[in-house]
Amino acid sequence: MKRLKFAKSKCIGCQLCAQVCSAMHEGEYIPSKARINIESYYDKGQELKYKDSFCILCGICKKQCPVNAISLEEHITVDHDLCIGCGVCERACPKKVVRIRDEKSYICDTCNGDPACVKICPQNALTFE
Amino acid sequence: MILPVLSSLMERSIMKITIQLRGSLVKYFQGEKERTVEVPDNCTAEEALRTVGIDWTAVKNFGFVAVNGKRVMIYDHLKEGDELKAYPKISGG
Amino acid sequence: MTMLGYQNKVLRVDLTKKGAKTEPLRMDWAEKYIGSKGLAIKYMYEELKPGIDPLSPENKLFLTTGPMTGTPIPCSGKLSIAAKSPATGTMNDCSIGGHSALQIKYAGYDMIILEGALKEPGYLLIEDGNVQFKDAKVLWGRGSHETEMLLAEKHGHDHSILSIGPAGENLVPMACINSDYYRQAGRGGIGAVMGSKNLKAIVIKGTGGVKIPDIVESTKKITQILREDTLQEDNTFIYDFGTTAFLEACSDGGILPRKNFSDVTDENWTKYNGEVLLEKKVGKRGCGSCGLGCGNFLKFGDAIVEGPEYESIAVAGPNAGIDDPEAIVKFNQVADDMGLDTISAGDTINFAMEMTEKGVHDFGIRFGDKEKQIEYLKLMAKREGVGADLALGVRKLAEKYGGEDYALHVKGLEYPQYEPRGSWGMSLAYAVSDRGACHMRAYAPNEEVFAASIPPYTAEGKGEMVYNLAVFNAIKFSLCICDFWATISFERMAELMTLVTGKEWTEQDMKDVGERVIHIARAFNQREGFDRKDDTIPKRLINEALQSGPAAGQKIPQEAFDDMLDQYYAVLGWDKNGIIPEDILCRL
Repeated sequence: MKRLKFAKSKCIGCQLCAQVCSAMHEGEYIPSKARINIESYYDKGQELKYKDSFCILCGICKKQCPVNAISLEEHITVDHDLCIGCGVCERACPKKVVRIRDEKSYICDTCNGDPACVKICPQNALTFE
Repeated sequence: MILPVLSSLMERSIMKITIQLRGSLVKYFQGEKERTVEVPDNCTAEEALRTVGIDWTAVKNFGFVAVNGKRVMIYDHLKEGDELKAYPKISGG
Repeated sequence: MTMLGYQNKVLRVDLTKKGAKTEPLRMDWAEKYIGSKGLAIKYMYEELKPGIDPLSPENKLFLTTGPMTGTPIPCSGKLSIAAKSPATGTMNDCSIGGHSALQIKYAGYDMIILEGALKEPGYLLIEDGNVQFKDAKVLWGRGSHETEMLLAEKHGHDHSILSIGPAGENLVPMACINSDYYRQAGRGGIGAVMGSKNLKAIVIKGTGGVKIPDIVESTKKITQILREDTLQEDNTFIYDFGTTAFLEACSDGGILPRKNFSDVTDENWTKYNGEVLLEKKVGKRGCGSCGLGCGNFLKFGDAIVEGPEYESIAVAGPNAGIDDPEAIVKFNQVADDMGLDTISAGDTINFAMEMTEKGVHDFGIRFGDKEKQIEYLKLMAKREGVGADLALGVRKLAEKYGGEDYALHVKGLEYPQYEPRGSWGMSLAYAVSDRGACHMRAYAPNEEVFAASIPPYTAEGKGEMVYNLAVFNAIKFSLCICDFWATISFERMAELMTLVTGKEWTEQDMKDVGERVIHIARAFNQREGFDRKDDTIPKRLINEALQSGPAAGQKIPQEAFDDMLDQYYAVLGWDKNGIIPEDILCRL
């Protein structure tokens, strides 16, 4: 099974990943609604740090979901007809990728095996392997 | 007796120079930045580059050339032992 | 027609009354000037009456994005910050990197206009539609770095923070505005304008979005353009080297200045060149939506900076008679923290060094004094001791003490680090630049020095050359696209504009907008009383010949300079005095 991988030494913090993710799923460039969130920042101006929220397909969200709304085959799928927006998946996600919005859970679906974030990452920090 | 005379005649028409490439031009040296090459004696910078396969007019972002650390015109002449540097165009500040 | 890409909204903040309201964007102006640089200047031209004091509440700060901001169009993440300049009295527009442009756009605004002045030190907190006026008494007096650190602790690292240092607070005419610690809106005293409004910082977070037509297909197209155009090797050198790549080229090219522009080239450049500096690289960072990632994060002992860039290296290095890389990095770090433009601050210190050595006035510093150089930055930011004099800048310092013959500035903005005696067209570019001596309006070395066969030591054809370069940058910075996407064509710009707005833009449209932006910037200055007499060339370039490098023996004859000016005015349709005629003015 292919997974997203992130090499932070290559990341330039451009946030193009979040922009294209949101474009493909939400119809706008709106990183706050993206299903990937990678940022870099200077901590006290002294250290370059990274916040890397991306789905590693660990499956913890699926295991914890109390209504079995989440399935995992080649990627995560959330059945919004079943999802009650309880937020257990959001709290359990170790990479803080999952977002609850309007009482539904939104999780990366790897763009069905052809992730847009990987295609745009200009320095190839994001790969799918 | 004849051979040494002939070979010394031929040596007079070539000279050795170093060519250094900068930026994206290093691809013409397969990634090496510098080579010592033999070129026609007293040739121009343009001719020297042609002997190593660089036609500056065909390189879209060809910049400029310098000899021994000083910019010269592409048609200026070189001498033995010169260090010829070729740059791509660069911009910004 | 309604163009997409824009938010169609301007946030107007009244700092005097502590109020904020939104208004629609002037879409009719956007159709003529697009965004960023061009749109900011149009607003400035319409809203700032001639003759105002740039440090009074009547001046305004225009923080302007473009239609491409917040989209994945590569290199589109810069913010234009514009105001009338306290250093020159002309218009001024700066371009700052980092992420604030995207936050402003995602918060829902094309532009934020800051009017009036706070009665006491404060900072603005803008979170989407929520605007708050916060107390900054505790922050006032602190360096920009400490300020950013404290505000990030309070509001989060996901918020963008624009701040000034002590230099801006003390209204120093070379004060800058910082973001992301190491990015600046650098020149013309833009930081002093912010300081005159008692505004210590602006903290912004946006959670909204940007819409463009046919977004899924457009995103695929943009991805393709990124890979095929932006990421071609002629642009990616900036990832590997940053602008340190220019050092060798400028030294060989004979335009790397030494000791306050008294000569050029420096055989010691290998001591502080890209290879030496980049050995200390510990990280890489770019701006929002960047593809190229020019930022090199370096640690040289306790000298830490993202940079240094060519201008900072050259002004603090060879132009100061210094060749110590750690000292150069430290200079950059301290200047950033104090909130000082490295170019103007460095030039002023170098000028003081020469005046001291020539016995004109003892400023207590000579070429090569790297400790005093750092100390003087701090004194200048605080206007203390000798810093009170140095904070005046080169023009006023020369008026006060002398040294006019080697005071290099135009209209009061100090000279960037490209020596025009080695590239004559650059003297024209500096002279006619809209905000004083700036190298980013028309980048002449690209054609005259970094080109294989165009002769640099002649006036011939330079008017048209500078015009073409100026049009290219003017439109590019109005979209905006960062300088480092060097290979972008007018055709590509038009393609991207059409993609983002849904309106058909052509190559000719791009050139027309570029030229229009040059006219309106000039019109602003014209209204303030500027004309040919202010498009000057420093005396040193006319009177003294270079000693070293390929341009050894070169100086620029006054007639050659006059000829270049004549040519430039003629190409633009201005009269012999550099005045824009009425028929062009009324169309702006």
